[in-house]
Amino acid sequence: MINLVILVFIGGAIGAMGREFLMLGVPELSDGFPMAILIANIVAAFLLGLVTGLHKRKVVTDDVNTMVGTGIMGGLSTFSSFAYGAVVLMTASASGAVVAIVYVLISLVLGYGAVLAGLKLGQSGATQPN
Amino acid sequence: MRPLDVLWVGLGGGAGSLLRWWIGRLVGERYHGAFPLGTFLINVSGAFVIGYLSVLFSVDWRDRFGTILNAGVLTGILGGYTTFSSMQLDAAKLSGGGRPGLAAGYLLASTAVGLVAAALGAALARLQA
Repeated sequence: MINLVILVFIGGAIGAMGREFLMLGVPELSDGFPMAILIANIVAAFLLGLVTGLHKRKVVTDDVNTMVGTGIMGGLSTFSSFAYGAVVLMTASASGAVVAIVYVLISLVLGYGAVLAGLKLGQSGATQPN
Repeated sequence: MRPLDVLWVGLGGGAGSLLRWWIGRLVGERYHGAFPLGTFLINVSGAFVIGYLSVLFSVDWRDRFGTILNAGVLTGILGGYTTFSSMQLDAAKLSGGGRPGLAAGYLLASTAVGLVAAALGAALARLQA
């Protein structure tokens, strides 16, 4: 139990710091599109799918699955900034509302595709995509 | 951005992730339905709190470091507490388990209720200002 607490805490810390570095490194788009959050969420969805697939095949242990899946990917991805950023954009202007709707739809579709691709790759055992 | 900001984000992200894990377990012990209720409640409550705190303390949503509040609490705790990746994994599991309608409904409900929660949090803070 205490081991799991440490794994989740350290994983979450690593993931959140990774998200912070992404926000510093990814340039802001002129129309306000939250590109850094989108990248963090899509990458985390793919890697969460991957580690879940590998865990199902018992390639990775329960502890690795908890630290990477619950900790790092949970910390890297964020729903709060996703939702609040969309609301701020939406209420700012008519063009902002369009950007917000596109942002939400792209996040949902790409995120879902990413987690499926990660699961498939992790479960298949292939070292190369397709 | 200073090293101290990285520290606050890390500490907050760790604490928020632990909180997510703990609440997920609590909900999982009490609720056994197919709907991923734990992640749903976590994400909606996190969206409400980020909207509330951002307006209350006048933090621009792109301003994510520099103080304990935006680095430690908004980016760290709330970012670590809420999760986009687990939401997508929940949906993929539902769909893979023969519940594609529930998966789509879950994603749409999380997003719609999450957006409303963030707006309500911001509105509540404006009322108090």
